[in-house]
Amino acid sequence: MISLQHVTKLYGQVIGVNDVTVNLAQGAHGLLGPNGAGKTTLLGLVTGQLRPTMGRVEVFGEKPFGNPSVLARIGYCPAGDIRERSVTPMQWVTYLVRLSGFSRHDAERRAGVALEEVRLSAAADRPIGTLSKGMRQRAKIAGALAHDPELLVLDEPFDGLDPVARHDLATLVREWAAHRSLLVASHLLHEIEPLGAGLVVILGSRVVASGSSSEIRSLIDATPAEVRVVCDAPRRLAEIVCRGDDARSLRFERDDTLVIGTRQAGLLAERITAAAVDEGIAVREVAPDDRSLEGVFGRLVSLHRGGA
Amino acid sequence: MTTVETTHPGSPSPLGRADRAQTPPGTLLTSVTTIAEFQIRRMLTRSRLAVAAIGILFPSAVIAAVGRTAGFPLDNDLAALLIYALVPEAVCVLALLVTMCPAVADELERGTWIHVAVRPGGRRAMILGTYAAAVIWTVAVGSLALIPAVIISGADQPIRIFLVMLGLAVLSAAGRGALFSLPAVILPKRAMVASVGLAIIVEYLAGTLPAVINQATVSLRLRSLLVEGMGWRRQLPAELQLLIDSQPAVVQVMAVALLVTILLTAAVVIVERRQFPPSEEI
Repeated sequence: MISLQHVTKLYGQVIGVNDVTVNLAQGAHGLLGPNGAGKTTLLGLVTGQLRPTMGRVEVFGEKPFGNPSVLARIGYCPAGDIRERSVTPMQWVTYLVRLSGFSRHDAERRAGVALEEVRLSAAADRPIGTLSKGMRQRAKIAGALAHDPELLVLDEPFDGLDPVARHDLATLVREWAAHRSLLVASHLLHEIEPLGAGLVVILGSRVVASGSSSEIRSLIDATPAEVRVVCDAPRRLAEIVCRGDDARSLRFERDDTLVIGTRQAGLLAERITAAAVDEGIAVREVAPDDRSLEGVFGRLVSLHRGGA
Repeated sequence: MTTVETTHPGSPSPLGRADRAQTPPGTLLTSVTTIAEFQIRRMLTRSRLAVAAIGILFPSAVIAAVGRTAGFPLDNDLAALLIYALVPEAVCVLALLVTMCPAVADELERGTWIHVAVRPGGRRAMILGTYAAAVIWTVAVGSLALIPAVIISGADQPIRIFLVMLGLAVLSAAGRGALFSLPAVILPKRAMVASVGLAIIVEYLAGTLPAVINQATVSLRLRSLLVEGMGWRRQLPAELQLLIDSQPAVVQVMAVALLVTILLTAAVVIVERRQFPPSEEI
């Protein structure tokens, strides 16, 4: 369905994506990577907004750039917000569907159905400027799926949504993807995991890993992570942790913080809890280090380059 | 090199294809009409209407001021010349600057460009639809400006002046709108400045040069049609004959149509090939 062969996209001297070769069959796929990794550029190439500087992009067996027959089969929901404040979701979605070649009557009917599908019917006639971020996000998604595309492409669809809205949206997208193809970009694994999608991990403009979400999860779990423990006796805690073999590194930060590198975060948490109870150590905070996600991606890059 | 093979098959939806097959393929005309309607709806805001009202009343105010000095009623030729300078030249150009120039920049700023660009034929429809909306808006403002201006002038051929000026306003809107579509697609974020420059250099400088280059300007055609429409050709001094084209009116109209076709085709070709990096859409 989607094929990128040695694709590089340059913006002047800035690299968008670098020598990427990916083949995605029909079905649901997630594109995972931190901000600035090249996800939006890759989606831009797939949705025919951008032309590759080098390499070849094909969607449904054809080049998508400037190709109406391919574009008619794609529904795209970009990451940016709609800043068209005065129109209503109904007017907006109808407008987009009409641009996909439907008559006014058909477009209005499809817009109504799509807004119902994203549970926005009640607010269909309110100006977009008065809607919440979650509602605007749903209006965008309605615009992307109302013309009944074969491939739905969503760029950071969960960005800025509250947990309830995230759950609703995940359910909607999962239902939709049950019988059509989907490509979702996100920088958070837990946003894509519930969709049951195959994953492609992109970092530093390159694709560094791929597989099912459980395979990627195992890879991430096996990657050394850092746990930050704030307590009243970090040196005593370090001594206790050193007795086991689940800590790979120890580092003190300030007088009350111990940062432990580990491959077995679960086991380590148990030992910290036991130590807190047995030794009377007052633990105030146990949290993954903020840099852990970067560490995970860094590790994936290292693996990608043949590192151990 | 990065090679990743990922396969995660789902069940393709035959429903989607069957449903789409029943839908008549969209024509460019449908998309252009859709965009034009949407743009006109966007223009109907209080601020835009206030600017339009100023544009409508401005020629009448100038004519009233001239009339107070020269005395009413104004001479027929003076009235026609003033109204020509104020409506097809000034008001129409100003209306186009605020409607046609931001054709792409507005979409990028509002975050709507990307939604339109991924639709089949969306890019060309965006330019042609915005052009259609800009021409309709400009002609509406221009014709509404003409009515009080002609009445206030007290000229003895008000209907003739109105009809000639209305025709010139339509041609000015169509020709200059197509001219301004180029900066809109080449320099979307500097389109206004580029269009003002283009209007001054091409229309008002090159257009008044007695050389071959003025054949490619709208202003030469408008001036020639003004002379023709008002019946001034015979009484025009020899030195001013150099500033007009002696071909009949139908040739002037066809020349404007040809210019419009060339300029819009160029704008469509450019916009079809333009790529905006994701950061430009914010």
